[in-house]
Amino acid sequence: MNKYSGNMPRRSFLKTIGAATAAGTALGFPQVIPAGVLAVEGKPGANSKLTFAHIGIGGMGGGHLGDMVGRMKRGECNIAALCDVDDQHLERASKVAGPQADVYRDYRYVLERKDIDAVIIATPDHWHGVQTVHAAERGKHVYVEKPACCTIEEGKAMITAGKKHKVAIQVGSQGRSTGDAYAACRYVVNGMIGKVTRVDCWHYASPGDGGGNPDSDPPPYLDWDLWLGPLRWRPYNSRYLHGVFRWFLESGGGQIRDRGAHVMSVAKYVMQADDAGPVTVEATGTAPTKGLWDTAVDMQVIYTFKNPDWVLTWNQPGKPVPMENGKMHGYGAVYHGSKGDLVIWGGDGGTNTEKKAREWRAPAGAKEVYRSPGHKEDWFNGIRTGAKTIMNIEAAVGVANLCILGNLSFILGRKLQWDQAKQEIVGDEEARRMMSVPQRYPYCL
Amino acid sequence: MAMTVQELLAKIKDKDDKVRSATWLAAGEVGAPAVRPLAALACDTSTELEVGRATKRAIWKIVRSAGRPGADAEKNAVVVELLILLAEGQPTPLMREVLWMLSEIGGDESVLPVAKLLASQELCEDARCCLQRMPGDKSLGALRAGLAAAPHDFKSAMADALRARGVDVPDVPSKKLVPTKSTRVKPVAR
Repeated sequence: MNKYSGNMPRRSFLKTIGAATAAGTALGFPQVIPAGVLAVEGKPGANSKLTFAHIGIGGMGGGHLGDMVGRMKRGECNIAALCDVDDQHLERASKVAGPQADVYRDYRYVLERKDIDAVIIATPDHWHGVQTVHAAERGKHVYVEKPACCTIEEGKAMITAGKKHKVAIQVGSQGRSTGDAYAACRYVVNGMIGKVTRVDCWHYASPGDGGGNPDSDPPPYLDWDLWLGPLRWRPYNSRYLHGVFRWFLESGGGQIRDRGAHVMSVAKYVMQADDAGPVTVEATGTAPTKGLWDTAVDMQVIYTFKNPDWVLTWNQPGKPVPMENGKMHGYGAVYHGSKGDLVIWGGDGGTNTEKKAREWRAPAGAKEVYRSPGHKEDWFNGIRTGAKTIMNIEAAVGVANLCILGNLSFILGRKLQWDQAKQEIVGDEEARRMMSVPQRYPYCL
Repeated sequence: MAMTVQELLAKIKDKDDKVRSATWLAAGEVGAPAVRPLAALACDTSTELEVGRATKRAIWKIVRSAGRPGADAEKNAVVVELLILLAEGQPTPLMREVLWMLSEIGGDESVLPVAKLLASQELCEDARCCLQRMPGDKSLGALRAGLAAAPHDFKSAMADALRARGVDVPDVPSKKLVPTKSTRVKPVAR
């Protein structure tokens, strides 16, 4: 903990700023104090404004930008740069963020800027690993959309980079930061449904592809080479983007990697199993019958855990459980315990649980679990104090690995054995090779 | 009973997408003998777009089925067929697919044919990735030789493949963090 971190009393902090500013003025220095000046390297001072850049500003990236512009207008932060490979996204985002934000196509220009403390990455999934590692190498704190990574080896590199460069990485599985996830976690951890031996997730199916679209030239406003980035070269096809990148195994991984990164994130949080991994993974499913998309339409994955023994299943579409108001929810999970069940609907920002967990009052001596102050607030706290974030990169990679292994089992059509300690697939050479996908230079780890 | 190659080829050309998909999903059981006939169908310019996609998926299914544990004879037979495709020369998109297939199941026997493609302007990057992924000293040796022979603008990529395999390459700078692409978009009026 450094003396300018979040634990410093505000009065002492202001006193320090006053002294520093007076000294600076006397020496002819400007009085504007950048975020990093009053702190050790990499940890901006408690009351200093953080300066952010947004990389990827369509879809979820647009949502993040809107949120951060609100914070900027309240005087809480600066937004210094916007980056996207689609000029149309850039034009729109510049109008939202305002004239102080520079615009870039190539994220590496953003990473070169020393005035930027942190980046919010909301690019397609195949960029998450590379951009997070590169940002960490430049000393930037990172908020990256879920899923954390597309391959096992990407995840390892992200963890290593985060540790080596001492940056706070928060992954956008924000369900963990909701009040209902906290309530459910506390309820389960305190044994209110007994020993949990099975968690069944349900989620609506992935879409099939109508097919028929041939390859073509990319539109003039899009840098196709930079959109592809780490992926192997292929001609442009309009069915690859924007939001539909999710329906490709390479770039999105389907519902299991997109929303599984929410539902199974909450499951690992509630089960307090961030350090645990499955010993076996077995997937079955149906592939699209035509078109370019290749992610499973329907899918079931069974993950078995040992010590403690429990089973996690991903069921697409599975059997939805009605909410307490009688409405149906497209995704969620049922936690089966020796003394009863608990349902958690959603798993993203719209997470809900049963009234019995929401209204449970913890008795004296009850076990407590970490309660996030909000997903972004938790990240800001991690930046300022070095505290581990609720969806830190280790936890997020653990969840992404579940999704990746499920897809690998589906692709290969066979059960996989996983060694959690070694973080590798065992007994299957082809599957082992598929733990990494060599990336196109220079867009690589 | 497994399909014959002829049955596979007939069904994969079916007008019904459900028949085509059921066919490529079952292609693994047909195995190596179907690889080159399917490749020929994929390369035939008169092949309908969706049939071409199903054909490519059928070859991938064969590769992934043959790569399962305990099926070395099947795997070796498929690798032989893939290497014949490489040696014969195919349209670039198919050659690219074959390289990535070999990256999953190819062994030492594949290294030299793949390494030769490091000299191809269109396929060198895929060949580099394939060699990076194939384990063993032989592929590592091919990457070292590839670095020595690479033209100036490909040396950084070759060096990176070696680094990914744990080799220190101090004399070739990395370009990974060097920005190169500018936008014509201007920020909203300042």
